Formats: sequence, structure tokens, C-alpha cells
Amino acid sequence: MDCAQLAPLYEEYALGVLEGEERAEIEAHLARACPHCTPGIEKARWVVAQLAQVAPEAQPPESLRRKVVDSVRKSAAVVEIARPVESRAMFPAWAWVAAAALALVTGYSIRQMGNQNAQLAELRKEMKLATMQNQALQDQLEQGRMIASVMMSPDSMPLKLMPKDKNMPMVHAYLHPHMGVAVTADQMPAMPAARTLQLWFVPKKGQPMSIAIFRPNSEGQIAIVAPVNMPMNEIAALAVTEEPAGGSPQPTTNPAWIAKVN
Amino acid sequence: MLLAVVQTWPEGDQPTDASLMERILQRDSTALETLYDRYARPVYSLVLRISQQPASAEEIVQDVFLQLWRNAKRYQAARGPLEPWLFTVARNRALDFLRLKREKQRRREDSADFDLPPSAVVRPDPEGAIDQSRRAERVRALMGSLPEAQRRAIELAFFDGMSHSEISAAIGEPLGTVKSWIRGGLLRLRESLEEARS
Repeated sequence: MDCAQLAPLYEEYALGVLEGEERAEIEAHLARACPHCTPGIEKARWVVAQLAQVAPEAQPPESLRRKVVDSVRKSAAVVEIARPVESRAMFPAWAWVAAAALALVTGYSIRQMGNQNAQLAELRKEMKLATMQNQALQDQLEQGRMIASVMMSPDSMPLKLMPKDKNMPMVHAYLHPHMGVAVTADQMPAMPAARTLQLWFVPKKGQPMSIAIFRPNSEGQIAIVAPVNMPMNEIAALAVTEEPAGGSPQPTTNPAWIAKVN
Repeated sequence: MLLAVVQTWPEGDQPTDASLMERILQRDSTALETLYDRYARPVYSLVLRISQQPASAEEIVQDVFLQLWRNAKRYQAARGPLEPWLFTVARNRALDFLRLKREKQRRREDSADFDLPPSAVVRPDPEGAIDQSRRAERVRALMGSLPEAQRRAIELAFFDGMSHSEISAAIGEPLGTVKSWIRGGLLRLRESLEEARS
């Protein structure tokens, strides 16, 4: 279908009622950032969102405002305290170049003093380590951006993966048809080195498909993003199982967390 | 372009949504408070209509505004004004809650009763919300002018997250009729909103 044929369907797509081939056609146009359909859908989202005005007007309780404001103020205070750490994490590339140049100058002076080889080798080692640390931070930052992008997209389907063990925390997932699936959790217990967690798409027909292998970090947090390699309407459920380190081709344990999708 | 002419906050003395989002990026919590005061009522009304549970509606609304605070960088002003974006996020969250609740009911694990929504209490609009108020009147008038079955079909889609075929089954009308009603109603809504802005 071409853009002209899809245009009358934009509002229905934004409303979420469109199914089958018509829905797939629009998503294909969006996936390739179609210059007609992308702004058309954005406009349709605005139109459809106005249906919220039909809801009977109700006043949120004052206690809700207090909760939101308190949480935000606490969060702002934490950010303020954490800012020195954050600024280090955001150390810009030019600063690394400057640091590297300084290290070279220092190395030159040391060489002039007579023990250049050992000192230079040490500096190179430090620079290599610093470069690796910088790359790791950049990777983390990029992953954080991708996770936030999936979480905040109106097209993402938020899911709560319920734990089988009620003492375990809930795992949150955000399923986006194109950007992937983001999975987050807090307060996860530490895992033995020989075990890992594995995320599965459970299709309506066929075997579960492995999506990601991951472990909570040292603070008990999970924040990963992985591609969606199955049409969303074919996914029956998302499940997380505990598996031997390195993962398994198929689940070897019952799901520790699960959420129904379709 | 419709988006180009949509002004989210036309009053001169009031900070725009975009400027408030800029301040949120600077971690100015008072900017978030201003946005909350501006949008909490329509967002809460929407979420309560979908969830039908005041306690759950509060939780969802709190989550929506905290996500706005935490992920302000991801809000792209170029994609359009903030209000429909907030409505879309809030609707998605509330529908997710609704689907989860239906699933629990199917499993007979959820014995909680539906809370009746509190009687609607309407606070007078602040001066800056006049544009929003007029738009709301226009949308309500249009929906009110539709035949009841057509209006019902659109509301089942928007507030209950049903697809064409689910609505067809729910109201016992042919699928083609449901599609035609919804498409026709949405096109009229689009035309009405464009007309209001021209």
C-alpha cells in the first residue's frame, strides 16, 4: 500500500484498533522513517489524544501532588549530591585528548631524566586503561539512552513480569516493535557465579526464543535492551528463567518471572 | 500543518511547556510542579476513566510524572506539544493496568472490587487553560453529536483498548460496520480540530 492509501488509516493506527495487513503496512512505513507517514502518524496521535477530553473531569487528590513533588525533590537532591560522579562519567573526549597530551609531555620529561622506557610504558598502560574506561562509560551511556528511548516511546508496550517467588522484585519490560525490548529491575538478589538470567520470547506457536542473557549488577539492578526479532503479535509472553552461566538453548527451569503479551 | 499551529500554552505570562522541559533538564523541580499543576487534572481524569480505580489511577499518574522528570531528555519537542504526549503515555499505562487486571480476573486471582470513581469535582480552569478548555468542549460536542453506537465504538477503542474485532464482538455489530463507524468518527474529529485551529 502506498502512503495515499494509508493516510485515512493514520488515526485508527494511533488509536490502536488497526490489525493485520493494514497495521503491518503502516509499521513498515514507520520503520523506514517514511517522510509522509511519520509526520502523518504524529499528527494522528495528537488528534486521538484529544479523545482524553471526553473522560469525565475528576480532581486528583492533593495527597497525590505531595507524593509527586516529594519524590521529585528527593530525586533532585540526589542528583545534586551525585553530580561530581556524573560529571566524571561524562568526561568529554577533548578532555581525554588533553589528558593524553599531558601524559605525553610528562613522559617526555621523564625520558629526559633517563628512565624513559619504563615510565613511558607505564603511561601508555594507564592511557590504554583510561581509554578503555572511557569507552565502557560511553557504551553504558549509549545503552542508557536506548533503554530510556524504548521506555518513553508511546509505541512501547509496558509489561510487568510477575515473580513466581513473591519475595522477589517485579521486573519491568517495555516492548517496542522496532527499537527492541528494554528490561529493568531493582533490588535483585546477588546470583551465584555459575548461574545467569535469560530472557525469552514465548511465541504463540513453537519453542521459546532466547533474547538476552544477563545478570544483576553489584547494586542489584538490571538495565538491558535487546532487539525484538519476532513480530509483536506473535509473542504470547515474556519470561525470565534462571540458567547455567552462558545460557541455555531452551529453558531448563520454570519461569522465575513472566508477563503475558498477547 | 496542524502541529505547527498548535500552541500548548499561548498566554504570555505563563512559561511554555518547552521552557519548563528545559528547566527540568536543569533539574529544576519547580518546573515539574508547574507542569503537574497544568496537566494533572486531565491526565488523572483520563487514567481514572480507564482504570476505574482511584488508587490505581493515582499510582499511574504519579508514575507518568516521575517518568517525565527522570527521562526529560527523551522528550522530543519536535514531535509535538507535551499535552498529547502525556495523554498517550498515560493512556498506554492505564490500558496496560486494565489488561493486567482482566488477566488476573480471568485467572480468578483478583478478588478486589472495582472502586467507583468519585463524583466528578471540577476545579475552575486557570486562565492559561482556556485554549485547552475550548478544545475539550469541541471534542465533547463532536462526540456528543455522533450516534450512540458510533460513540460507544470509539470509546471502547480509546478507553478500553479494544481492537476492531473485539469491539465488533462486544457490541454485536459486523466488523465492517465497526470499522466504518470508527474511521468516520475519527475523520470528523480530525476535521473539527483542524477547523478550530484554522
